[in-house]
Amino acid sequence: MPATTPSESVTTVGRTSAELRRALAETRHAWSARAWLGTAVFAAALLVPIVLSSHVAVDRLAHYAYLAAAAVALGLVVGPGGMPSLCQGVFVGLGAVISARLGAVPLLVSLACATAVAALAGAAVGAGFARLRAVYLAVATWLIAWGFALALLASPRFVGGTDGLVVGPGHIGSVDLTPTVHYELGVVLVFVVVLGVGAVRRSALGLQLEGVAVTPAGAAALGVPRGAARTKAFAVSAAVAGLAGALAVHLALVADPAAYGPYLSFQLLVACLVGGAASPVGPVVGIALVGLMGPVGEALGRLTGAETARFGAMLSALLLVAVLASGTGGIVPALEARLRARRRPAPEARAEPVRVRTGERLEARGLVKRFDDHVALAGLDLDLEPGRITALIGPNGSGKSTALRLLSGSLVADEGRVHLADRVLDGHSARDRARLGIVRTLQRPPAFAGMFALDAVTVGAAADLPPRAVRAFFATPTARAGGRSARADAHSALDAVGIREAAERRCDELTGAERQLVAIAAALATGPSVLLLDEPAAGAGAQEVARLGDVLRRLRADGLTLLVVEHNLRLVHDVADVVVVLDRGAILARGTPADVAGDPRVRAAYLGSGDPNGETSL
Amino acid sequence: MSVALQVAITGLAAGGVYGLVAVGYSLVFRLTGTIAFAFGDLIGLGVFATLLVAVGTGPVSQTNVGGARYALAVVSGLLICVAVGMAGYLLVVEPFLLRGSTVGWIAGTLALAFALRAVLQSVFPREAYVFPDPIPFERLGTDGFVEIGGASIQIRLFYVIAVAVGLALGAVWLLERTRFGRGLRAIAEDADGARLVGVPVDVFVPIAFGLVGALAALAAIVASPSAPVTIETWPLVGVKALAAAAIARFVLPWPALVAGLGLGVAEATVAEINVASLQPGSGWSALLPLGLALAVLAARPPDDARDDAE
Repeated sequence: MPATTPSESVTTVGRTSAELRRALAETRHAWSARAWLGTAVFAAALLVPIVLSSHVAVDRLAHYAYLAAAAVALGLVVGPGGMPSLCQGVFVGLGAVISARLGAVPLLVSLACATAVAALAGAAVGAGFARLRAVYLAVATWLIAWGFALALLASPRFVGGTDGLVVGPGHIGSVDLTPTVHYELGVVLVFVVVLGVGAVRRSALGLQLEGVAVTPAGAAALGVPRGAARTKAFAVSAAVAGLAGALAVHLALVADPAAYGPYLSFQLLVACLVGGAASPVGPVVGIALVGLMGPVGEALGRLTGAETARFGAMLSALLLVAVLASGTGGIVPALEARLRARRRPAPEARAEPVRVRTGERLEARGLVKRFDDHVALAGLDLDLEPGRITALIGPNGSGKSTALRLLSGSLVADEGRVHLADRVLDGHSARDRARLGIVRTLQRPPAFAGMFALDAVTVGAAADLPPRAVRAFFATPTARAGGRSARADAHSALDAVGIREAAERRCDELTGAERQLVAIAAALATGPSVLLLDEPAAGAGAQEVARLGDVLRRLRADGLTLLVVEHNLRLVHDVADVVVVLDRGAILARGTPADVAGDPRVRAAYLGSGDPNGETSL
Repeated sequence: MSVALQVAITGLAAGGVYGLVAVGYSLVFRLTGTIAFAFGDLIGLGVFATLLVAVGTGPVSQTNVGGARYALAVVSGLLICVAVGMAGYLLVVEPFLLRGSTVGWIAGTLALAFALRAVLQSVFPREAYVFPDPIPFERLGTDGFVEIGGASIQIRLFYVIAVAVGLALGAVWLLERTRFGRGLRAIAEDADGARLVGVPVDVFVPIAFGLVGALAALAAIVASPSAPVTIETWPLVGVKALAAAAIARFVLPWPALVAGLGLGVAEATVAEINVASLQPGSGWSALLPLGLALAVLAARPPDDARDDAE
């Protein structure tokens, strides 16, 4: 904690208390039948050992409560993160082994160490592999799960041989950790982790994760820090798993290396997918079902007289395949869909004008791009001015999209320079450029499938927020303020493109033209100075094109620098100040729409290659 | 020198199997974009099904069985392997591929793997099994071992290497010289394009699944009598071969094959290292390929750049 002057600490206290009041108000607003249900289930779960002490094996329940915490945490990686992690069991095992090795130190210190080591391991796994595609991520985490199991088996001196490491029961202060205390701790941990994962999902980090998962290219174009966000998700998830593992080892009283093999990771994944990773509660339900499979399997084993009770694993596998095959995304999401829980709009949606930076001059000189032998762009010069709309047109394959991608940094030019105001952009990635204010929309509007329009736009608004995982997890005032301002920005951006009413609709329910507007709003929400639009009118009807034209004119009036790549020549004619015509990678003509329309070479180029929209007249 | 030779032969015998399995992973990956996480368990199924038909589940005292029963056992083992492999593809891979659900086929193949392992564990409850061998290698040399340059080498291993390399060459020939192989390579290149030019994609892909399983299982059956077999043996081989395939970046056929062979030799080398009192032993030897594969994966360029390709 850095030293703070009195006035600073007063404002911090003031901020915190204001935030608490606001949180209370929001909770009251959002309080629903579901919240009552959750509270009731939590209270009932706490009472189980008192009421049913003679009927249930409390130690077994406590074990499953810890597993549930690890599974809920995995849900953050698998659900909004969209990453099939196959090594969550490694973090559980790491926490257990570390805490068991630290046998003599006070329990709280040992738990903290185990959590920290697991978090570091999670961050390392995330930093190494989280940026990869799902297939490679699965391979890498699977190899890690096996590698950890093999390493434990290969170091008997470290893990106490075949007997495992024996641990004392431990105590916190004067409280001995009996199975009942473990159970209560486990239930509280599950409750806290469910709330924490829910808070992360609503935070800037959660929206960044979701945006990256559902529309990688769209999120990249908005400048979302893909690697950092995913690494943070891994670290938080691993920290919770490590803590759960460390607590569980003091319940089992032995760290058995054989218990932390790939099968544990598989079980946690099964719980996530069966219960549904799209809901923070899903994995809890999943663990309950996986836990039930054990006794059911044993009963089946007794019935059939089989020698070993391996039915549990088979039943879990069958259950998983059945739930996967149903295509519902898990039990809890399926139930929620059945109940049609409609999302309530946030209480305050005061739209302030969108925070557009003042437009800046973007200048390209001699851009060349070759793909193998094919020259896509042969020395393009462009001058984009603030408060002006430049349209880039030309037949298919003339290099328009390549030019856009070079400007936005998603492709690297072979030759040539790009300047933003006085700054030379050289080696700046798409994300760096997005942070400097150059934002691009994609040709096919990013679908953001399953996301609410407001959330999709908030991905843009939250793109430049640092993905702070711990703050998001505990919903600190800073994290909440960040999320709130991002949502406010998203509202303003939706307002600016004129589809305010679409905020609480899902993106897949919107028309193609509306989705384009959502994409533009998401780009606007990043607070850009230069906006690069790739065929915003694709698939739009005449009325929608007119609406789009109004939006673009308004943004021009706000002083933005705009470049529009477009096939729809009506839109170009309506809004463009300057038209640049490309043909086979070179500029064919440049001028006002009227100048260009009268140019015979332009007509020849278009007629020669076949006009895609049948609208040759400007 | 003698140690080096011993390491090389032991390593190549193990590596031949790794290489074949790695070719299997790579072919499946190229054809469908999926990883057959159940591959190792499928091979285990083939091996134990063969064991069941050959000698039953009881303890095996004599390691040799009659030729006819052994042949029947091998054929039934391979058939089960092919049948389960193809059924697995149709049940837990293809439906999710069609739906575009990556997590679906990943979890589905893992479920298949653990279900197979559970079935085997309930049928074969003992720690380890001796696998029968129709060829009496122990009558050759000195109790089945031969002295070469001071090294004592199990004669069986030469047979295992010969069979594995033979099968691998057969697989390469199949891929590069036959109509079936050309069809597979066309699918790997561009599945929709292959469909358009008349390659029966929906028939070829399941057959390829069954075939790579059978090839790998055959090599495994030949290698099994060299050491006691446990349920965990083949899943572990599957993971090591997956590491080899990842090191070779799933490139067919030679890189995957060579990576498998190299991995076998590297593993045998690590197991032999004995520096002063520091002996890493065979437990750590498996970590080397896994670590190498992880390094190769971590060095991949970020995939978000690729996603942007239009």
